[in-house]
Amino acid sequence: MGDEVREADGEKRVEAPTNQDNLIMEQQRQIEEEISEAIPLVGVKEDLLCALEKEYAADPIYTMKAKDLSSKYSSIRRMRPDGNCFFRAFAYAYFERLLTNKDEYKSFYDIVSKSKDDLIELGFPQFTLEDFYDTFMEVVERIGGGEMAQDELYELFNVTGQSNYIVVYLRLITSGKLQRDADFYLNFIDGNRTMTAFCHQEVEPMFKESDHIHIIALSAALNVGVRVRYMDRGDSAQVIAHDFPEGTTPAVHLLYRPGHYDILYEH
Amino acid sequence: MDQYQGKYNTKSTSVKRLMREATELQEATEDYSAHPLDENLFEWHFTIRGPPDSDFAEGVYHGRILLPAEYPMKPPNIILLTPNGRFEVNKKICLSISGHHPETWQPSWSIRTALLALIAFMPTPGIGTIGSLDFTPEERKKLAAKSQSYVCPECGKITDELATGVSKPATEEEKSLIDCVAFKAEEVQEPNNSGETEGETTVPEDTSLPSLRQRASALHSPLETAGANVLDGASTSVNSGNFQAPAHTANISILDQHRSLIIMIVVMAIGLLVLRRLILI
Repeated sequence: MGDEVREADGEKRVEAPTNQDNLIMEQQRQIEEEISEAIPLVGVKEDLLCALEKEYAADPIYTMKAKDLSSKYSSIRRMRPDGNCFFRAFAYAYFERLLTNKDEYKSFYDIVSKSKDDLIELGFPQFTLEDFYDTFMEVVERIGGGEMAQDELYELFNVTGQSNYIVVYLRLITSGKLQRDADFYLNFIDGNRTMTAFCHQEVEPMFKESDHIHIIALSAALNVGVRVRYMDRGDSAQVIAHDFPEGTTPAVHLLYRPGHYDILYEH
Repeated sequence: MDQYQGKYNTKSTSVKRLMREATELQEATEDYSAHPLDENLFEWHFTIRGPPDSDFAEGVYHGRILLPAEYPMKPPNIILLTPNGRFEVNKKICLSISGHHPETWQPSWSIRTALLALIAFMPTPGIGTIGSLDFTPEERKKLAAKSQSYVCPECGKITDELATGVSKPATEEEKSLIDCVAFKAEEVQEPNNSGETEGETTVPEDTSLPSLRQRASALHSPLETAGANVLDGASTSVNSGNFQAPAHTANISILDQHRSLIIMIVVMAIGLLVLRRLILI
């Protein structure tokens, strides 16, 4: 009986010509929503070895790599895998550092406070740009004011609106850098797209995942070194590190696993 | 903006942003105007003038803008209320970048960008996109002339909504954005819709209801039409409206409720007539 029903169902599905793309998109949307409900935008600091060994208990290659990673890093902070994880991880890790690093704060403040005019000059719509800039600077100023504590930053980054505004502004800074130095960055993008088109499609929209080119441009624009640790199925027992821009001292350490970034903390 | 103070959390980035946009758009221009409803900052009404040198040149079109709670991270939805021959009325349409990159709304766009894009998009061919209508130029011109007399229950006579002599044309940057924007209706299909159509919803019976037929005939997507044909073999292609029934948005489920209510009333009326007949004879 049960089988019959299932068969009938199957038949009908074949008959009804539904648009597969739409179904896939709909399903993807549902999955994204489930993820977003389950994982906070920014997670709590977890013990690295403990967290990763639990995750990869049945996976010898990853367990080996987790051990290697734990020799250099003590903790991990997970990000919501919503396509914004690189930008959010970058902002959180760097702002956290700025809470205690006054000298670096000053030079960062100078760079970002100038960024708005640079972006307007490049032709970004002033009206909305100011909206993002104001919210971004509000947070930056609170960090510099010395009144903000770790847990306040954590709370702030888990308020969806504000957290996303910071991501948007970093995306705009990235887009600005890519367009300003388009001659250089065009070498890294596929196809016959113009840099402006690339930015409209891959950088400025929310929830679009980041690639190397985003990381290079953002770290160069803000003069913040980023070290990314790549954890994948490769043979090497070590977790390979890559610094952006090359040769700089990293201020932010991120763990990359295919399609996703989390924050790492050194011993 | 005072009416929203206290009612909304002014720390919310969406609220701040919408209040900012409301201030920016306070002054109507000759091409567009938009304002939030007094009781709801997340619903706006807008009026646009049809683009010059098009079938819509004589037209003034009114509609609603529904802002998602996540705005501006998610795009606004636009609903046209004035019949225009290009978009279905009373149906959500949303912006996306045309071509291979749909769904890429950018937070740095605004309601103004959306309206400028909508005006620019009107003369483009509908070619069967969901929510699009391909009326003839004559029909569109007729509707354009008629649109001038449209009165919105909320806003009044819509021709008064636009200013004369105040123009804020798109900047170069906005133009390049607008060029790649497309509008389409929200998808209403769900994987399990075939089951639902045959299930409790008694939609196939209601082709005789004029109001439903009207809505159904407005759908031009060949895909949806085909789908409806398979599910509802006896009916004509006009019946593609059936596909609207299984929907995931709250709006449409309300529509569903209304529909079953209408059906119930009609069935009851028929029943009463039959009963009366029996008793009278």
